[in-house]
Formats: sequence, C-alpha cells, structure tokens
Amino acid sequence: MTTVFVCEDSLDGILTGVYDAWDSGLGHGNVRLEVEQEKTLELFCQYMPVRTDRDKADKVLRTIRNRLGEESTEYICQAAASSDGRKADAIYRMVVLGLSLERGCQVINCLTYGPVATVMELSQKTWHEAHKLMGFVRFAELYNGVLYAKIEPKHQVLPFLAPYFADRLRHENWMIHDVGRRLLAVYQADTGWVLLEDGQLREERLAWVSEKEERMARLWKCFHESIAVEARINPKLQRQLLAMRFRPYMLEFAGKRGEKEV
Amino acid sequence: MVKSARGIENLFDSSCAFFWFVVLLKQTNVLERVFAMQQVYVAEDLPLGEKLKILSDAAKYDVACTSSGTERQNGGRGMGNCTQAGICHSFSADGRCISLLKILFTNECIYDCKYCLNRASNDVPRASFTPQEICDLVLEFYKRNYIEGLFLSSGILYTPNYTMELIYQTLYKLRYEYHFWGYIHVKAIPGAAAELVEKTGYLADRMSVNLELPTAEGLKALAPNKSRGKILKPMRLVQNRMQENKKELVVYRHAPRFVPAGQSTQLIIGATPETDFQVISVAESLYKKFELKRVFYSAFVRVNEDEHLPVLPGGPPLLREHRLYQADWLLRYYGFQAKELLSEKKPNFNVLLDPKCDWALSHLELFPVEINRADYYKILRVPGIGPKSAQRIVRARKMGTVDFEDLKRMGVVLKRALYFITCSGRMMYPVKLEEDYITRNLLYLKEKLPFEVGNQTTYRQLSLFDDCHIPYHDLEGGGTEEEVLRAVQGLEAAGNAQGQRAC
Repeated sequence: MTTVFVCEDSLDGILTGVYDAWDSGLGHGNVRLEVEQEKTLELFCQYMPVRTDRDKADKVLRTIRNRLGEESTEYICQAAASSDGRKADAIYRMVVLGLSLERGCQVINCLTYGPVATVMELSQKTWHEAHKLMGFVRFAELYNGVLYAKIEPKHQVLPFLAPYFADRLRHENWMIHDVGRRLLAVYQADTGWVLLEDGQLREERLAWVSEKEERMARLWKCFHESIAVEARINPKLQRQLLAMRFRPYMLEFAGKRGEKEV
Repeated sequence: MVKSARGIENLFDSSCAFFWFVVLLKQTNVLERVFAMQQVYVAEDLPLGEKLKILSDAAKYDVACTSSGTERQNGGRGMGNCTQAGICHSFSADGRCISLLKILFTNECIYDCKYCLNRASNDVPRASFTPQEICDLVLEFYKRNYIEGLFLSSGILYTPNYTMELIYQTLYKLRYEYHFWGYIHVKAIPGAAAELVEKTGYLADRMSVNLELPTAEGLKALAPNKSRGKILKPMRLVQNRMQENKKELVVYRHAPRFVPAGQSTQLIIGATPETDFQVISVAESLYKKFELKRVFYSAFVRVNEDEHLPVLPGGPPLLREHRLYQADWLLRYYGFQAKELLSEKKPNFNVLLDPKCDWALSHLELFPVEINRADYYKILRVPGIGPKSAQRIVRARKMGTVDFEDLKRMGVVLKRALYFITCSGRMMYPVKLEEDYITRNLLYLKEKLPFEVGNQTTYRQLSLFDDCHIPYHDLEGGGTEEEVLRAVQGLEAAGNAQGQRAC
C-alpha cells in the first residue's frame, strides 16, 4: 500500500515532507509526496499529514546544497514555488536520485529521468513568471512616499522579486502585494525585506496617492500609446507577449479590459 | 480686374483651385519657411506631456529597445541596476517590447533624409526637451518600474557637435547628479567630434549609429546629407575604444567602462531595392568587422510622400523583416554564414519556410542526425532545435540515452525536427528523406506564419501533383515572391501580397 505524505504548500513544508518520507523507512517505491490541495482521495492509500518543521527542512536543504550543488538547489527552490501539484513528489524523487549518484551535482543532467525533467520544467515556469513580473510590476507612489504595487501571479514569485527590487530601489520604501496569496513583500529603505501576511494592511489608505502620481501615470499612458507604430498594429502579438492576466494591474491597460480587437 | 478684397480664393474659379495653390506653395516650402520661426517659438513653451508625445512619436521608428548586455548592481547611491538578459516592461499595441523610455532629445533637424518623419522639409510640430526634463521623467518612471532605462536619440539641432554635447550633458546629469544606475542606450551622432562621442560612451551602456540603408548607393539616394563614411567613422571609433577599454579593465578592475553592452545599428528594409542576400551580407560583415552586438531590421514604413520612396500597398514588409531576423539569429547563435543561407543565384528568402528549414531541405545529404552521438553544432543545425534544447540534449546524453519522448520534454519542436533526426538509429515515424515529401509535410503543419500572411492566406489540402512538383529553378528564377507563393500554394489571390519588394 502506498503511503502519501501530505505536506504544506511551501518550501519548508515540502522539504519536511522529504525528510519524513525518507525517515519513515517504507521504501522509496511505497511512498509519495503531495501538497495540500483539494483533491479526490485515492483508494488503497494511507494519507499521512506532515507537520512542517523548520529544523528538518534546514537539514534537508543543507544536504541538498552540499551534495547536489548550488545549481540544483536553485532549481528545487524555484520548483517548490510553482503552483503545480506534481512538485512535491518530483522534488523528492530528484533528491533520492541525486543522493544515490556518485557526484550528486550530475543530477541536473539526468533530464531523461521524469521527475528531474519535471523539476526543471516547473522551475523554469516559475522563473519565467518572476522575470516577466520584474518588468510588469507597476508601483504607485502613496501619499507618504511609499511605493505600492499589486500583482496576482500563478506561482509564488515574491521571494524572487523582493531581492531584485531591494537592489534596484535601494533607497525607497516599497511593498509588493500578492493579492491571490494575500502576501506582502515589504522593504524599508536601506535595510532589508520581509514577507508578511496582509491581514494588518489598512486597505483604505492604499488609495491615497501622492500629488505627482496621477500626472506621471498620465504621462506614461501617453507614452505607451504614442510609441506604437500604426502601420504595424498587432494585438495578437501583443497578447502573446503580455498575457491578459497581467493586465488588470498594469496602469497602461486600465480601463481597456475586455475590449475586443477586430 | 479683381476688385473684391475678400480673400485670395476669389482669384480662382473654385475653392478647388485654391487648394492646389496651397499645395503648390507647400511643395516649394514657402509656407514652411514663413512659419518656421514661429514653430520653434511655440515648441519652447509646450507642456511636458505634449513634448513627450511629440518626441516619443518621433522616436518610434527606431527599432532597438533592448536593455540587455550589462549586469550591474546598484552602486550604493541613487537607484537602478541592470540585468544581463534585459527586461521588457510593457508591450505596445504593435507587439513591440517597451523596455526603455525611447525619446528624441529634439525632433528639429538640419538634415533632409527622405524616409524620415523629422526631416527638415516636413511640416510637423517640433519640440525639444531640456536635460532636466529628461532626468525628471526617467527617474519618476524608473521609480514606478515603468521602464528599464533611457533610449536617447536626437535630430540634429544646429550642428552634430551641438547635439552631441546636449546628449552628453543629459547623461552626465543622470549618472553623476542623480546617480542613476539603470540602462542607457544613446545614439552617436554622425559627424560629431571624437572626444564628445568618447565622453558620452563612458556614461552609456549601449551606443548605436544607424546605418539606415544597406548600400552606399541607397544612402546617397535617400539621405543626401549623410555618407557611408560619416556613419562608419563613429562606429569604428566606438569599436576601437571598446577594445582598449577591455585591456584597461584587465589591469584596473574599477576603471570606467566604455559602452559595456556593445554597439548596435539599424537597417531599413524595403526602401531601396537591395536583396535579402545583400542585407545579411552587410549584417555579417558588421558583426565580423565592427564587432557589433546587434543589427536591427526595420520594415520600411512610408511616413513621407516622396517620389523617391517606394509605394507599398501591402503595408510594411513585415514578413521579410521576420525572415531577416530569423537569419540574423542563425548568423549569431547557430554558426551559419550568410553565403550558406543565400547566394547571388538565390538572393531572397523563401516566404513559406524559415531560413533554417530552407537550408536543411537543400542539404538533405547531411541528415538524419543521430541525437545521441552527433556533435553540438550538428544538432544545432536541425530545424526545430535551438541553442537551449541542443545544450539540454548534450547534457542529458551524458547520463543516459535520449529518446523522442525526452526530446519533447526538453522543448524540441518535434513536428519540425522529426524528419531530420534519429534517436539510437531509429526515426520517430517511417518518413522519407526527400525534399518534396518533407516540404509538403512541413507546409501542411500550418507553420505559424506572421500575422499578415496568416490572416490573408487560406489553407487547403495540398495536392501532390499540382503543387509540389515545381522544379527548383522555377522557384529561384525571375519570379517575384507573389508568383512563387501562388505557384506553391495554388492560391487564386495572394493578391496584395506579402513581403513585397520595392522595385
């Protein structure tokens, strides 16, 4: 009978799951990892909830870093941030394979092994979205000079966006709000960033923008319109490169939603 | 005798005749000269929004909007950084990436290049920024993450040196007063003094001089004030300085960096009758002899009414531009050479197939390639396999045998690659390695042709006898692309046609 370890949907959760599944001694063929999500339970399976344990997760991460190398660690972390349900088991299998190899860092070359290919695919998807959002995030300056942006990504990209913006806007106070996950990345000028839940956020104050804000937004919209060459208008190409799901939070497309092109 | 003093129109039979009179005046530039002074005066007082509109509108025909090539951290003061890959911040309605705030410093120009919207003889509203205005815009936009940096080009105000000096001042202000570390792409003005170009180069990430027309004759015909030599001079200067700078950086790690993201140029496609072969040969020699980072191709858009400019009823030659970009990638990343792709005998690209497929079909003797054994460069030449998937293949086969299923997962486009590869000596399906057969199947895939073609052609089942036994010399021969298109696809009306050549 297969034992399914159900872990929390986070990097720590999955890594704890890897620890517990290995530790259970049931044999790799008899265990499976899943992240918590609404799903039909399977027959002839035993479900085991995993309690996220920071220490266990740290141990596993350290082992991965030492034995599988820096590059694999990066891929695994990115894959863990994906919204795909296959991630937990794929990461587990990849770690098992990596630790069985003489040179663990070779594991990223085993693209012919399904789980490794899955981890690579998921990590690529997450990174791709993070990279796109590095450009598509739109900050609005609030009355107190804080820059505030809303996003609604498919994958958990805040941990990848935050360090990037921390370097870029080093002397500004800013926060990025992941609306779907109800998470906030908050950065205080010249210090560091933290990840918070948005329960404490005073939503009504987010609408108080600075004096300059409206003028700058108008200038940007004007630029966005005048930079297009009329003879080459191609909404299909635009949609291919800038998916509709990003547009609600980008000010140059505000008010244009649902507009059908001919 | 004309007694009425009601107006000039009374001198003519009808208002129509008056209209022609005005047109006549316009053509002889009388009106422009009369109003020129006033226009400049008006331009000075324009609000920032108007200026931005005029000067971004004037800059949009420049294609380059990449922010790649430099990796730089924030310097501690001020704001900004750069990433190697570059970042697109938005996409405009024409589907082009908006990465940089692309503006002209001024759209006033002493030159009269026929293809250019801002030529001296055009009656367009003129405006100029001040360095301070540009800095404000860049910093405010950058802070809100609208842009990745600045793309600053300019018309020639008074003299090339005067213009270059203004650009230099703007960049200096941005870099040293505001400590802006974002990306800056700047134009080297042909004819400006070498010291000025050099000084500016230390402040910019990328510099470009637009070659505009691929041949010297074309340039002479359409840009009477420019010459090939004048354009190539700053290009060579930047190249030499970059080489010296590389040596300096070896010795002094923190020496100022000169144009770290390299230089680029732009060629207008379709304004003059050059062939694709000439264009990519020029591009190739620019890459080799001038060490350019990028050559951009810009489908000609007829913005001016001028007898020297071709009329393109089908709109700008976008498909041709697309094929040239595909070939450009083959030159830079796939180890192809211009003369492999085209020749004097076959001077233009196939409309229906991309250059790589086209090449593979005429070199079937080199295929099929065995995925598990062939070297990287052979794999790279297979249609449907790019540098990324080729690298993955090379990595993966160290650890085990690669099969078709694995290739699919690695991102290989199997529907195109399957005719040219074997895995462990086996082909994916029993296919014939024949040119006609493969062409027919590749076309039947309904390859995603660019917008204009996709919208105009209707596909139908190809018939073996009518369509695919066209001797090759017919395809190459004198026929225009429309004829080829019609011949191959059997379309009744390829009509107002794609990839139209300027004749």
